[in-house]
Amino acid sequence: MRALRAWLSRFGGLFGRQRRDRELADEMESHLQMHIEDNLARGMTTAEARRQALIKLGGVEQTKESYRERRGLPFLDTLLQDIRFALRMLRKSPGFAAVAVLTLALGIGANTAIFSVVNAVLLKPLSYKDASRLVVVWENNPHHVAIHNVVSPPNFLDWRAENRVFQDMAYLADTRANLTGGDAPEQVDVQNVSANFFDVLGVKLALGHAFTAVNGRQGNDNVIVLSDRLWRDRFASDPAVVGKSIELNGKSNTIVGVAPRGFDLFIAEGSLTGAHPQLWAPFVFPPEFHDRAKVGRFFTVLARLKFGVSLMQAQTQMNVISSGLAEKYPQYDANWGATVTPLREEISGAIRPALLILFGAVGFVLIIACANVSSLQLSRAAGRKREMAVRVALGASRWRIARQLLTESVLLAATGGGLGIFLAIWGTNALLQKSPQNLLNLSSVSADPRVLAFAMGVTLFAACLFGFLPSYSTAYSQIASSLKESGRTASASEHSRTIRSALVISEIALALILLAGSALLVQSFVRLIRVNPGFDAGHLLTFKLSLPASKYKHDAACIAFYGAFLDKLRQIPGVRSVSDENLPPFSGFALMGVATGVVLPGKEALPVSERPTTAVRVVGSEYFRTMGIPLVGGRTFQPAELSTAKHVVIVNETFAKEYFPRTNPIGQKITIDMKDQNVPSEIVGVVGDVHGSDLSAAPWPTTYWPYPELAYSGMTVVVRTRVPPLSIVPAVRDALSSLDKDEPIANVATMDQLISNSVARSRFAMFLLAVLAALSLVLAAIGIYGVMSYAVAQRTNEIGIRMALGAQRGDVLRLVVGQGARLALIGVLIGAVGAFALTQLMRTLLFEVSPSDPWTFADVAILLTIVALAASYIPARRAMEVDPMVALRYE
Amino acid sequence: MTDKTSDKSNYKSGSKNDVQQGTLALMILKTLDSMGALHGYGIARRIEQTSGNLLSLNYGTLYPALLKLEQEGYIASEWGVSTNNRKAKYYKLTRAGRRQLEREAQEWEQTAAIVARFLSPEGERT
Repeated sequence: MRALRAWLSRFGGLFGRQRRDRELADEMESHLQMHIEDNLARGMTTAEARRQALIKLGGVEQTKESYRERRGLPFLDTLLQDIRFALRMLRKSPGFAAVAVLTLALGIGANTAIFSVVNAVLLKPLSYKDASRLVVVWENNPHHVAIHNVVSPPNFLDWRAENRVFQDMAYLADTRANLTGGDAPEQVDVQNVSANFFDVLGVKLALGHAFTAVNGRQGNDNVIVLSDRLWRDRFASDPAVVGKSIELNGKSNTIVGVAPRGFDLFIAEGSLTGAHPQLWAPFVFPPEFHDRAKVGRFFTVLARLKFGVSLMQAQTQMNVISSGLAEKYPQYDANWGATVTPLREEISGAIRPALLILFGAVGFVLIIACANVSSLQLSRAAGRKREMAVRVALGASRWRIARQLLTESVLLAATGGGLGIFLAIWGTNALLQKSPQNLLNLSSVSADPRVLAFAMGVTLFAACLFGFLPSYSTAYSQIASSLKESGRTASASEHSRTIRSALVISEIALALILLAGSALLVQSFVRLIRVNPGFDAGHLLTFKLSLPASKYKHDAACIAFYGAFLDKLRQIPGVRSVSDENLPPFSGFALMGVATGVVLPGKEALPVSERPTTAVRVVGSEYFRTMGIPLVGGRTFQPAELSTAKHVVIVNETFAKEYFPRTNPIGQKITIDMKDQNVPSEIVGVVGDVHGSDLSAAPWPTTYWPYPELAYSGMTVVVRTRVPPLSIVPAVRDALSSLDKDEPIANVATMDQLISNSVARSRFAMFLLAVLAALSLVLAAIGIYGVMSYAVAQRTNEIGIRMALGAQRGDVLRLVVGQGARLALIGVLIGAVGAFALTQLMRTLLFEVSPSDPWTFADVAILLTIVALAASYIPARRAMEVDPMVALRYE
Repeated sequence: MTDKTSDKSNYKSGSKNDVQQGTLALMILKTLDSMGALHGYGIARRIEQTSGNLLSLNYGTLYPALLKLEQEGYIASEWGVSTNNRKAKYYKLTRAGRRQLEREAQEWEQTAAIVARFLSPEGERT
């Protein structure tokens, strides 16, 4: 308390200095006078009395000085003085200040921007209660494409019954439904969940209440919870919405709650629709779900670990349980295991490697920026050598001078940092607004304490990094001797030249690493978009349609509807051909239906769990013609096969090659586990491979079934047009409402858009890394230019002498450019080694390019060397223009 | 230069060199307690006299000490006129200062007693 009071008083002592100084002087004066009077009274002479009084006091100025130190806060005092001085110095060289602040703002801003995304995606705890205990449990099978497979309902039941590691388990499965009643009909994305779903997540609803155990029973499940978005858009934020009814797929449902804003559990790996849910409905197990023979795998399973149970313990127990199930139901569960993954990893796992690489890259850019500013500071420091020497001679300690230089750097960095933070938050949000949907599952970032702390840390780091070097260099070079040296001609001390060379070399090395990384990404992106998707994507319109089961009860109704609808579409002017498919390529059903067991001729005896798998696609008439998928052998479907099930099937080339390596597949009979009655169907044709969702993934073995074989209510229509595809959308809506005015269309897009979206993430990563690499290239060029210009300025004299002694302009050019080239080559060599090591980390991001691709490395090395030579050519030109007479006379 | 640095470490509160400083503060407080309001010079003379001139005080060190005590709220100052009709700054004890004096005096006596016992040969044995 006393200390605080004293401190405050001292803080106050920083102000009103003059009045206080006057008072102190008065006090000293009266002290001396009283003492002198006493001394005189003791019989001393006037002079002696004064001398003794002064001796006894210990000097007036000394006393005042120690008094002042006690009065204010000397540290803060000098700091303020340093800041004032630094501001004055920066005002005197506005060019330097502007360049330094901008460079740092870019470096710090870019770092903060990437960090704010890293923070939001990877670091910030998920907004669920005790989110670290939430896990997703998958099935896995070494024979299957997907590492994380969705779960079969009976297995879920056994897991839940047998485990001792989870507090609770929930399931979810995405689906779509038609929302009718009220305004226009609309397709909504529904998440079918277990009744305990919200409880497992620990989410409190914004309005109403979550599902109760009662809703988990047959007959009580006609309730739903709205998402905040749907509540706002469709129900105009009606506060009394709870208790109202809506119609989903023609069935009435009561709204029991509204989820909090931003609540959105979307697990892409297990999603059947690829879309974020708009509402939640309880899903009750029908009786057949207890029978492994009747139900496949389609649940995403969410679980909450018991308190104190580790991921490892949970995994160990799930291994035991699943191997038990495999033994008990070898027909269905042999080879199937279970994988427990943290929810956080599920939500942000895919973006993680790209994000971390960007984070590293942006760190490099910062270091390059710092090196540049550092190099600028060094030039300035050399110019200010005499100033420093004078100050040292006048009694400033080296520490004091170093501190002042550091203050200048911190001031620069703080200005740059403040600007950078602003740019970062504003820029990131602008970018997120524009970035393709679902790219990051992130709509905005905020300057939360962690981001601010990071930005401040980076700023301080930057200040120390580029402030320390010049300070150190100034403090330790021979300051005193520079007074003796003639200030102008003295070559920069060997020490500072070494530092500057080292700075340029490291800038070039880092720039090379960034360039190599981004060149690799650019190359893989180019290769990626050059991949032939297997069909003609131009002029292709796609949209989804989902018929409610309440209205279209039987397959026949669906077949009739789609038949009539496609016929109507064919009459729209500008339409070339029309067809439909259940899961068309690039429609967001990442791995949906790619692993259905298939029974091949001669292998009928294999148990279900060991059967080979195929992607199952259901198509309408003219499908292959509409999509432009080439027929490789046999024939396409005949009209009769598309109106009633005739048990025929078409397979793709991969299927033919993998499962009929030595025989002709045409005429062979196969069947799939998906159908109610496994009637063997004849392969009538083989078509070209199509990339299903990802240009970088190999095509799956695929079977195409005529629509009547598996008459799904939800289909995606594909329309090949002569005109711009989106221009016919109004006509499509008219055609639909003339058949059934209650059915909406959804996900209207052109195939070009869908493909472009599928590579959006790669494009985004490539774009960002390319921007960073370009930035680093420019900064490195500026760096080398600055160093060479400075070197030329320093050597003007020497160059003049050389020319006077007969050196030709070409010799001078070689001298200067040679020096730049030497630095560039060393930097390139070091950078190449670094890049070779670091690009290995990018392996998962690359497509058909080796991380140590020699051509890429050679290209960027050449590019960087050319840029470095160009950057040193300009100062070299200046050196060539030196007039020897002028240079010498100047001496 | 060197003087300055040694001064500085003397006035740093909480460091080991405080014994001197603390003692000086205690002497100032006691002087003001027994003499009433007094100016800096008077305090310095009084301390020297009281110590029987055993203590040679550098008067200059008194002023930072006075300032510190004032900042801590133990003493207060105001300008007044001395007996010789000279303008001088007078210091006087505050209530907090009186309490502090009691506390410090007690502590000092205790410390002195303990040290005395250590230094006496009998004390070591018991």
